[in-house]
Order: sequence, then structure tokens, then C-alpha cells
Amino acid sequence: MNADLIVFDNVSRFYGDVLGVNNVNLSVPPGITSLVGPNGAGKTTLMNLMTGLIRPTRGNISVLGVRPNQPDELFRLVGYCTQFDTFPKGMTGFDFVKSFLLIHGFDDLDAERRAWESIDRVNMRDAANRRLAAYSKGMRQRMKLAQALSHSPRVLVLDEPLNGLDPMARAETIALFEALGAQGVHVIVSSHILHEVDRISDQVILLSQGYVVAEGAIESVRGEVKDHPIQIVLRCDNPRAVAARLFEDDNIVEVGIHKDRQGLLIRTLDVDAMYLLLNRIILEVGIEVESVAPADEDVNSVYQYLIGAEGATV
Amino acid sequence: MAVYKKTYRSYEGRMTPEWSRFFVLTRYAWEDLRRRRFFTIFFLGTMTWPIICALGIYIRHNLSALELMGIRAASMVKIDSSFFLAFLGVQCMFAFFLNSFVGPGLVSPDLANNALPLYLSRPFSRTEYVLGRMSMLLILLSLMTWIPGEFLFGLQSYLEGWDWFKANVGLAWGLFAGSGVWIVFLALLSLSVSAWVKWKPVAGGLLFGLFFVAAGFGQAINAVLRTKWGNLINISNLVGSIWVSLFNKPLESGSGAVFFRIARGEEIPVWMCWVSLGLICLFCLWLLGRKIRGVEVSR
Amino acid sequence: MNVATQPPVIELDNLVVKLGDRLILKKLTGSFSGRAVGLLGPNGAGKSTLINTLLGFHKPFSGTARVFGHDVRTHARQVRSLIGYMPENDSFIADMPGIRFVRMMAELSGLPPAEALERSHEAFFFTGLGEVRYRNIGTYSLGMKQMAKLAQAIAHGPRLLFLDEPTNGLDPPARLRMLQLIKEIRDRGDLHIIISSHLLRDVEECCDEVLILKNGNIAASCNLEAERRANRNFLEIETRGADESFVAHIEQLGCRAAWGGNGRIKLVMPEGLEVRRIYQLASDRSVQIRRLNRKRDSLEDIFLKAMEEPANGSV
Repeated sequence: MNADLIVFDNVSRFYGDVLGVNNVNLSVPPGITSLVGPNGAGKTTLMNLMTGLIRPTRGNISVLGVRPNQPDELFRLVGYCTQFDTFPKGMTGFDFVKSFLLIHGFDDLDAERRAWESIDRVNMRDAANRRLAAYSKGMRQRMKLAQALSHSPRVLVLDEPLNGLDPMARAETIALFEALGAQGVHVIVSSHILHEVDRISDQVILLSQGYVVAEGAIESVRGEVKDHPIQIVLRCDNPRAVAARLFEDDNIVEVGIHKDRQGLLIRTLDVDAMYLLLNRIILEVGIEVESVAPADEDVNSVYQYLIGAEGATV
Repeated sequence: MAVYKKTYRSYEGRMTPEWSRFFVLTRYAWEDLRRRRFFTIFFLGTMTWPIICALGIYIRHNLSALELMGIRAASMVKIDSSFFLAFLGVQCMFAFFLNSFVGPGLVSPDLANNALPLYLSRPFSRTEYVLGRMSMLLILLSLMTWIPGEFLFGLQSYLEGWDWFKANVGLAWGLFAGSGVWIVFLALLSLSVSAWVKWKPVAGGLLFGLFFVAAGFGQAINAVLRTKWGNLINISNLVGSIWVSLFNKPLESGSGAVFFRIARGEEIPVWMCWVSLGLICLFCLWLLGRKIRGVEVSR
Repeated sequence: MNVATQPPVIELDNLVVKLGDRLILKKLTGSFSGRAVGLLGPNGAGKSTLINTLLGFHKPFSGTARVFGHDVRTHARQVRSLIGYMPENDSFIADMPGIRFVRMMAELSGLPPAEALERSHEAFFFTGLGEVRYRNIGTYSLGMKQMAKLAQAIAHGPRLLFLDEPTNGLDPPARLRMLQLIKEIRDRGDLHIIISSHLLRDVEECCDEVLILKNGNIAASCNLEAERRANRNFLEIETRGADESFVAHIEQLGCRAAWGGNGRIKLVMPEGLEVRRIYQLASDRSVQIRRLNRKRDSLEDIFLKAMEEPANGSV
């Protein structure tokens, strides 16, 4: 079972007195996992631990069964795309990707083939023979990605990989991640763009101030946040009538006018029952529904509840 | 009662005159500089030599003090062009040091941190930017060179009388123009070096290097090619020659200014010195023009 | 103030811009007056060049560009006195406290020293930077630097703001705050904004007009407000307890429907059919309708369509 998981067992990492992460327990399955949290929460530390670049101060890490004290195997298994935008001087894109493959031990022919494959996957063939210094930010980002992919790793750790990419490139890269996830690769992505995280992730890990605050599929995480009842936003042509009827039900905790004054915000303890009730009310009262949507079953809301505004700019 | 919400509001008030805006940079740079203790100490230190010279002038005129010290008036240093040239030489050397210390900090940080677009997206041109930065240096270096120099001249005139003043007005001009040439040159050089080298210590080091390397190079050329034209790139030589001409003395008499010696027997005509310095200044301006931009265009 | 007599915020007339020998902007023509205009496009489309041209950093090769009626080529200084610029890249002066930096920038824009100080503090307050303003900018975190950049862009009271990737690198709470600030500025009405961003969601949320560039041409230009009001018969619903037979029943009502998997159904309703009928259907079958939106062409659809079509130069 462990051969399929990235396992963190009571891992802590300190930098002198400064906290990196504390008491992390994780079990990451294949697919796309997103790391979310404010700057300084420990995302980069976690990623560096996963890729074996730093060792934990305490605790054990096992990446698909391989421990960090087996660097040969570990580095073959893992591909890392950092957030830093620096490169060796004077190289072309192709050289950059190929040189790392040579370091991995592939022979010249193999390295070339893999390099081109990887460059094609990120759609950078046309620019591959130009110098990296002449690339735009987005192009450099894609080349970094190509490099991380080139040795066919089973674990891909990506620190803000969509930074600087235009919408088309974003969509293409997301499609690439989804394809990799479907193949059973562990794709670990850190991102601040929460609606994208929502769309692509199979599971999320929320970090705050060095601790893992939540992990898992987002709906189940949401379900477990018990001190915040589920919220639904309803826009219709007769909100007051709906509100009056809703109040008659026991499960409804709160009904309020949405802050944009164009709908109702309904809070309830039993979501399923509420939807059925809503159905009935709509038919009985005879209202025209504009839209219905869960207000907080997404990463953004869970983030607000669990992490809130701590770490916001002073 | 009222509740006030703090929010963005547009500005409808008075604006400062456009021509004066370059001076904002000078003002801020000056305030920043004053805070650095090393600078203050150094600057005050450079006032020592003028004070000593002033004392010298005073003593020379005060016969009783001379008798007290047992020196005969005639043997003391005469207050003439040699005196002022020597004064200039020392102060201008200090100016060189100060310039290497202050100059890089004016432009390098702006380029290193990409602040130029912020300056130039305002009704503020590149010329105003350079002017603002240069003014800082010009004022500072003037305070070290010709201003105390003219003060010394004034002191001497006061003590000697009107006739002496009329006969030696050329000295006042020589002080002003000589310093002027040097400080404009220094300012342009340090601004352009700091525009091209983003790291402050390296820019300072480069300024030093330029002088000594250029001098060494010039001498090497002279020795190897058995000529005197190597002196064209020897900056201290050039400046020394120009000073001597500004003080209306023949080149052969030498500048007498320490650090700005003219090589004996290898004098270059003064107009060529002007041209050489002028070309270097134009080159610096061109360098500045390339680097001070809102956006770098890579070809 | 009569809207008709106000010059448009940005007016382009066959604008051509070359950098070195390369033709970057090819005969752009258009006129924009929205409160907030979004500038979109793939990398290399010419967004930065357009902004730099409007700022006066590049001279147009031919054609004209006007900001509030002033020609950028001949009256660059006037243009610059009306705008504020928040660059994408890191831009600051390292050894100065934030407040001094913003104050100096405001004075360079022409404010007298006392007013500059006042407004700098106001700008810091508006962007939410508190005690931090007295620290050297070199010590700021990325989010603080972004806010400081915004503060220097608004302190002198411009009429047009250029924001280049304003949420770049910001973590979720800071992103939220930045977007809120942008919306607050937009809603005032006296300060127009141009936002260049890769994040379509941000642009959708903040802008009412959008300009999409591709290869130096205008690929699309549209008014999001108008888009939002159109397209009311498309629905997207998310169900629980339904299956494809539910879709068949919906179609029997006269709709065109498609099963999207995971309970998602997209449908087009015929004229005159009320949503209530769908609810009736759901109620009869104990199906929960957990989400219901009127679908309209979202910015993403508009953008993708624009990328597919060959672009011409005009709106």
C-alpha cells in the first residue's frame, strides 16, 4: 500500500529556532493534490522535504516507499519545478532540459529523445533552440516544467507552476496535469488561485503557520467543518415568501439577505433535506428561480473558515 | 453626528511648478545622505585643509604673530596661483573620494530595483532625472572645492586690499572654472558608471580603477610607443593641464597640484585636453542615455 | 457632467508600434470609456507594449494613441500627469521607508510637500498597510510590495490607473483585498482603471470592458455588462439523485439538454418555458437541484473563441 503513497509520519522541520513545519501527518495518494496556504505557511518547506532537498528535524518521510536516505532512487522518482525564475547562463531551452537528463544518467540519444518529448508536451518546440534569457516569463515557466517532466517521474512537485502563464497556456498546463493525474502520477501543486485549485484538484492540503490544518477531498473537508453550517445562495423573484416558508423548517439555521441584496443566503444543518424542501417551496409558492448555488463548498470558503485573514498583508 | 469613511479621493489642489521638480530628487538624496554618519564625518574632515590654508593666510598677514613664531614673512609661502592650485589639488582629490562614495548610491539602486518606470511614468523626463541626481553631486562637490576656495580668496583680498584684488581676480576665476570642470566631469562619470554597474561597491571600485588604470595605461603607451600621446587618457594629467591654463600660466611651469601633476616634457596642448575630456563626457552622456529608460528594449 | 462631451479614456487610431525592426502592434483601432477595462492576451500579444506606448515609453511608428484626448506622441507629459502606473515587476527603492518612497513619488508628480505627505498616508491607509509604512521597503514581503506599488500609483490622484498583473504572487487573503480595492476604486467613477492580467476570473470580476490582443492585433473587444444581461435561456444545473433518464424527461419538455457527468446538466430552454417546470420534474422524482445558473458566455468562452478566430485590427 505504501508503494502508492507519499507518507509523512510526524514530520517536523525547524531552521534553527524558526518553524518550517510542525507535526505533519500526511498520506498523499496519486492524482492532483493542491497545497494551499498563506505565504510563509510552510508550503515550500513541505515541498523541499518531499523532494529530499532537506531532511526533517524529526519524523519519517517515505515517497512511494523510498526514503530520503536513498537519494539515488528518490531523485529518479521525483521531478521538482521551483518557484524561482533563475537559470544557468547562456543556455538554450533544449540544452537546459537535456543537460539535466544527462545528469540523470541517460545516454546522449535517449536524453535527446526524452528532451524533445518533454518539450513537445509543454508546446515549446518552436522556441527550444533560443536562449533562455530571451524567453518571456511564461515561456521560462513552461521550460521549467518540461525539465521537471523529462525523466518521467512518478511524483511531480510544482511550486506555483501557472505563474505568468496566459489563459491558454494555463488551460493547456492544467490539461497536462489532469492527464498525468489520470496516469497515476502524484502531482503536487501549490497555488494561490483558489478557483483553479477547486477545478483541478482531487484533494487539498491546507497549511497555516507550519501546521496542516486540513487535508482531503474538498467536499469531505467542507463537511467536516462542523462549526460552519452549509450555506446556499438562492436568487429568485420572491425571496421573502421563500424565507417565510424556510423559517418553518427545523433544520434551517439562518436565512439572510445576501450582501448584494439580490438573493437569500440560507444556512442549514441538513443539506439534502433542505434541497428537497426548496424544491417543494419553489413549486408551492410559485416563484421563478434565477439561480441556486452552494456558497461555500469550495476551497475559498474552507480557506476563509480555517485560515482566515491571518498572514494577510499588515 | 456623522460617520466618515476613509477612502480614495482625487486631488484638486495646488501643483508645484514643473521646472522645479527635478530638485525633489536632490532634496531627498541630500536628506538620505545626511543620515549616514560616515558621510558627515568625512565631509567635515575635508574642511580641514581649507581651514589650515585660511590660518596660513591669516598668519602671513599678521606680522606680530609671525614674529612671535620667529618666522620671517618673506620665507613663508606666497599666496598666489601656486598656492591656490595646491589647494585645489588637495580638495579635488577629496572630492574624488567623496564622489566614489556617494555617486554610485544615486543611480545603481534605482536600476537594480527597477524604479525607473515609476519615475518616468510621471510628468518627469530622463533629463530631469539626471539633472536631479547630478545636482546632488554638483552641490556637494562645490561645497568642497571652489566655495571654500573663493572664501580663501575673499579672505586674502580683504587682508591685502583692493589693489591686490584687482590684480588677482583671475585667481577667483581659475578656482571656479577649474573646480567646475572637475566636478562636472566627476559627476557625469560616476552617474554613468553607476548606471551600468548595478552593485554599489563595484561601481565605486570601478571609479577608482578608471583613474589609476587610465593613468597606468597612459604611461605604458608612452613608454612602449615612445610618445607623449598616452597622456591623453591620463585624466589627472588632462585636468592638471586645463587648470594651469585657466590660471593663465604656461604649461611648462607645472601645476604644482599634488595628484594632478603634468608630466614634465610631455605636455599636450591645452585644446586637446579639452577635447579629450569633452569626448569622455559625451561618452558618459551616451551611456546614461542608453540605461536611463522606462523600459529596456532587448533586441 | 455630460458624458458625451468627455473624450474617451483611450482612443487608438491605426496605431502601429515597432521595437527595433519587429512589428509589435499592428494598426490597432478602438475607443474605450469603461470604468475598468481589462487587457488580455497570450504572452507576446503586445499587452506590455501597448501599455508602455500609452505611458510614452515607446514612440508610435504610425497612427495615433490618445489618452483623455491627449496624443501620446506629442503630449506625453500631459498624459503622464493624468495617470498612475503599477508595474508588474518588482519596482521600488530599497533603502527608503515606504511612506518616504510614496511621498517622493507624489512630489515628483507635482504635489507640494505637505499635501504629498498627507496623501501618502491616505494611500497607505487605503491599501491597508499600517505600521509597515515606516519600515524600509527592502524588508517588505511580496504582498506588501504590491500594495506599496498601488499606493504610489494612486497617491497623486490620477484619472487613469494602469495595473499590470496586480494580484501577482499574492496569497488568497491578499488577493481578495487587492480585488476589493480595485472594485472600490472602480465604483467611485472618477478614476478609470486598465488591468492587464492572465487571470480571467479577476478581470471578469472587476472589469466592464475587455480588450483581447493576439499577435499585435485586436482579437476581440466586448462590453461585459452587455454580455451579462444577454443569454438568459441557457441553464446549467447540478443535481443529486438524477441520472440520464432525467435528461430525457427534460427534453420532453421541449429543451435541448446534455448530461455532463457527475450530475451536471446543461440545457437550453425554449421560449416561454419556466424554470418551475424543471423543478416540478425534479420534485416528482426526488431529485435535488443543488446548483442552478443562467449560463452566459463567460469571459473564458469569449477568450477562447477570440483565440481561435483570425484577428483583425479593429473593434
